[in-house]
Amino acid sequence: MPTFPPHGLIAEFSDKVVAHDLPELPPERRAEVVAFIGRRVAGLPSPMRIGVGVVSVVVGGAGRLVGTSRLVRGVTGRPLPGVGDYVRLVRSLSYAYVWDAWPDTAATGRPLGRQS
Amino acid sequence: MTAGALDAEVLVIGSGAGGAPTAAVLAEAGFDVLVLEEGPMVRQGDVVPFSLEQMDRQYRSGGVTAALGFPAIAYTEGCCAGGGTEVNSGLYRRPPENVLARWRRDHGLVDFDFDDLYAICDEIELELSVQTVPGELTAASDALRRGADRLGWANDEIPRWMIYPHGASATDGRRRSMTETYLPRATAAGGRLMTGYRVDRLVLDGRRATRALGRDPDGRAITVDFAHVVVCGGAIQTPALLQRSGLRRHVGTTLAVHPTVKLAARFAEEINVADDVAVHQVSEFAPDLSFGGSASGPGLAALALSDSWSRFGPAIEDWRRLTVYYAAISSEGRGTVRAVRGLRDPLVTYRLTRRDRAMLGRGLARLALLTLEAGATEVYPSYRGAPVVRRRADLATLQGTFALARASVMTVHLCSTVPIGEGPTAPTDSHGLVRGTSNVRVNDASLLPDAPGVNPQGSVMALAVRNARHFVDTIKRAS
Amino acid sequence: MPSTAALPLRDAPDVTVVTGAAGWLGRALVDQLTRPGGRWSRPGRVRALVTSPAEATAMAAIDRVDPVVGDIRRRDGLRALFDGLGDGAVDVIHTAGVIHPTIVDDFTEINARGTLNVVAAARAAGVRRMVHVSSNSPFGTNVDPGDRFRNDEPYAPYFGYGRSKMQAELRVLDAVATGFDAVIVRPPWFYGPFQPPRQTTFFRLVRTGRFPVIGDGRQRRSMVYVDNLVQGIVLAELCGQPAGSAWWIADAAPYAVDEIVATVGRALRDEGFAVKPNTLRLPAAIGRLAERADAIIQRTGRYVQQVHVLGEMDKTIACDISAARLDLGYAPDVELEEGMRRSIRWCIEQGLEL
Repeated sequence: MPTFPPHGLIAEFSDKVVAHDLPELPPERRAEVVAFIGRRVAGLPSPMRIGVGVVSVVVGGAGRLVGTSRLVRGVTGRPLPGVGDYVRLVRSLSYAYVWDAWPDTAATGRPLGRQS
Repeated sequence: MTAGALDAEVLVIGSGAGGAPTAAVLAEAGFDVLVLEEGPMVRQGDVVPFSLEQMDRQYRSGGVTAALGFPAIAYTEGCCAGGGTEVNSGLYRRPPENVLARWRRDHGLVDFDFDDLYAICDEIELELSVQTVPGELTAASDALRRGADRLGWANDEIPRWMIYPHGASATDGRRRSMTETYLPRATAAGGRLMTGYRVDRLVLDGRRATRALGRDPDGRAITVDFAHVVVCGGAIQTPALLQRSGLRRHVGTTLAVHPTVKLAARFAEEINVADDVAVHQVSEFAPDLSFGGSASGPGLAALALSDSWSRFGPAIEDWRRLTVYYAAISSEGRGTVRAVRGLRDPLVTYRLTRRDRAMLGRGLARLALLTLEAGATEVYPSYRGAPVVRRRADLATLQGTFALARASVMTVHLCSTVPIGEGPTAPTDSHGLVRGTSNVRVNDASLLPDAPGVNPQGSVMALAVRNARHFVDTIKRAS
Repeated sequence: MPSTAALPLRDAPDVTVVTGAAGWLGRALVDQLTRPGGRWSRPGRVRALVTSPAEATAMAAIDRVDPVVGDIRRRDGLRALFDGLGDGAVDVIHTAGVIHPTIVDDFTEINARGTLNVVAAARAAGVRRMVHVSSNSPFGTNVDPGDRFRNDEPYAPYFGYGRSKMQAELRVLDAVATGFDAVIVRPPWFYGPFQPPRQTTFFRLVRTGRFPVIGDGRQRRSMVYVDNLVQGIVLAELCGQPAGSAWWIADAAPYAVDEIVATVGRALRDEGFAVKPNTLRLPAAIGRLAERADAIIQRTGRYVQQVHVLGEMDKTIACDISAARLDLGYAPDVELEEGMRRSIRWCIEQGLEL
């Protein structure tokens, strides 16, 4: 039975956004980030959750047509209402999580050894 | 009676800066008080301040909440025993006298004596041991002071509800939050505090509310019968609860906030303190505009850089030399809180005026100038397409490219959704009694007639104590 | 020396070089520096840069003034100005600039490049100090009628003029960073004797009740009477404050636009003019429309004074002069009504039609 908001679509989209923004983030960390985003989206206040749900379905549908990776390249950095907020939400959560969990990480997501 | 049936003489909904003092005053006056708190009890020291874990446990929706609009304004609400006092920076400001005068004049407030209010502030400051930092300031706070001093801009250290062990430094304080002060006082006087209990709505019989309907921690329905109810859920939850209870008149239509924009500043020396914030604020342009320090741990520093990540991102590798500052404005705009049938949470919107937008842009530029004067080597304003500011000439680029629609706007000060007043549009009287009811009161940030231009929780607590005492007097006189 | 200055002032230089000497401010400044027995009169000579032989002839009539025809847009256009200054102390007061040109390029050529050339020439000539006359325009407009520009503000240049004056300031500050002694004074809208024709138009609009007040008229404007400005310039020149300093120089407090119109009307009436009540009120949106139109026009390289001025009319441009009071002992002693009355009398003396 499909869930709403659609966790699968959100996870897929988040995965691609994080992979696009932080290409050198190790896959296991990326999975952790995507799971965190899923938890936060599930806990959103109801009106925001519905909004994200609707946008994620639209974006998910578009992703089926043109390929999610290509779509992410297309929508990131563009001021599309709704979609822009969605991207911004996913992005904010991922950056906050990555550097909260692993402070010494390069801007590309590559883990850094802290030199003392 | 079922297991889910509770009762109390006075039901207090919410345990934050409004609910906790209310509960303490009423319990100590001999009332049978039950406090229901939706969030959990988390002791000071159990979580790292300003961490994601704290947001998970003590913030509503993990801190991911927003007032919709163009642009949306992200906000946060505490959702735990003690509410916002547990998780914020603990900076305490008395309500300024000109603000009190404005409130009294513009809203026809009665029995609103400044000396009485300031006497209450004295008590609160003692109870919460409001004080300045002993010893050395954090580097981020000192940088703010230094930059302001060089520009000749008024600034001061804001005291906090903190106690410091002997010989401690700025970051060793322990919050004198509600779980350490008014809530223990309430329970010591016989009040009951139950956490994890959410109240959805009140049942009214004519002008009288008789019962609250809600959920226990396991999601089972509960009822609470009471003689009086005081709603203290904060400026978002309180109006939503009233609206769901059928009390809609002028409720939730005047949300006021202090919108803020921010920047990350990079210094030559290590400046980042993950678990504390700067205690200085710049008041030169108050109340229109004020500057201060934000929580700046690496996660939040990354967030501040995220709008222009392709250019700003590499700075995160040097996060120990980064700290985040904000510029806050007194906004002319207003917002709404609307309970939507069938939805658990209300729809929140906020509309910024043209002047608000311009003020935020100018504020960000003035803040950037201040950080340059403080010695920042690079400044990263939080909006898409922002320049890296290294010299004064770059400030012209900042002001030329700034557009609020591309900025990350947020706020932590929410108020004024159920304001006190004697005018025809005031949803409560001068003491928070909801019009059209005989026993429903509000006693939290919702009551402030507008945003005070300074950290509002001092004002919230002072009003809460005042109103709670008035309630005691009213009931005692009647009986 | 003046009683206003709280700080010890240096002696006036043997030669004072004034650029833009035939302009509004330049004329007022030269007048004050040379008028016998005047408050700011100084014993040395004044080397006055003018743009035409006709201006030179007019300036030559003033005692102790040596006019030089030149052009700040070119390096060699300044050679004669700095030639043979002698061994004594020389200060430069750089008032030359263009505010309402016919093409936008003139902003850059005259205000920015011109200033760079003056700095270079002054530096080569080993001058003691240069006072650069800037403007409010590098800082844009206040975002709220209650806001005041503090002495130090982030740049937010207002269109072409503002950008060029900002560039000029930055060039001056670059030179200071490498050892040149220069300070900056920033006057807002000024008024007073030696005014150009556009200011006569201003009086006429007020007299005929057709001055366009946009919005509620409560927007505020800092203004400066030219003699107050001269005081600020001389104090900045002779004070011991460090190079690189900058100050707002304005009348004591900003005026509401309503108040300006009313005061000028009263001053005109006192001087015997029949003044109609001002009736021209325009909605605030007109100011925003004009501002947008100004932006578009300036982008095409052209400049239309009326549109530019109208676009600014609904804005607050107000500064705080407390730093000049503190650092320089600056004490503006003429206010709007008296200053306007003096301007009106000056116009009458010149036989100008108001």
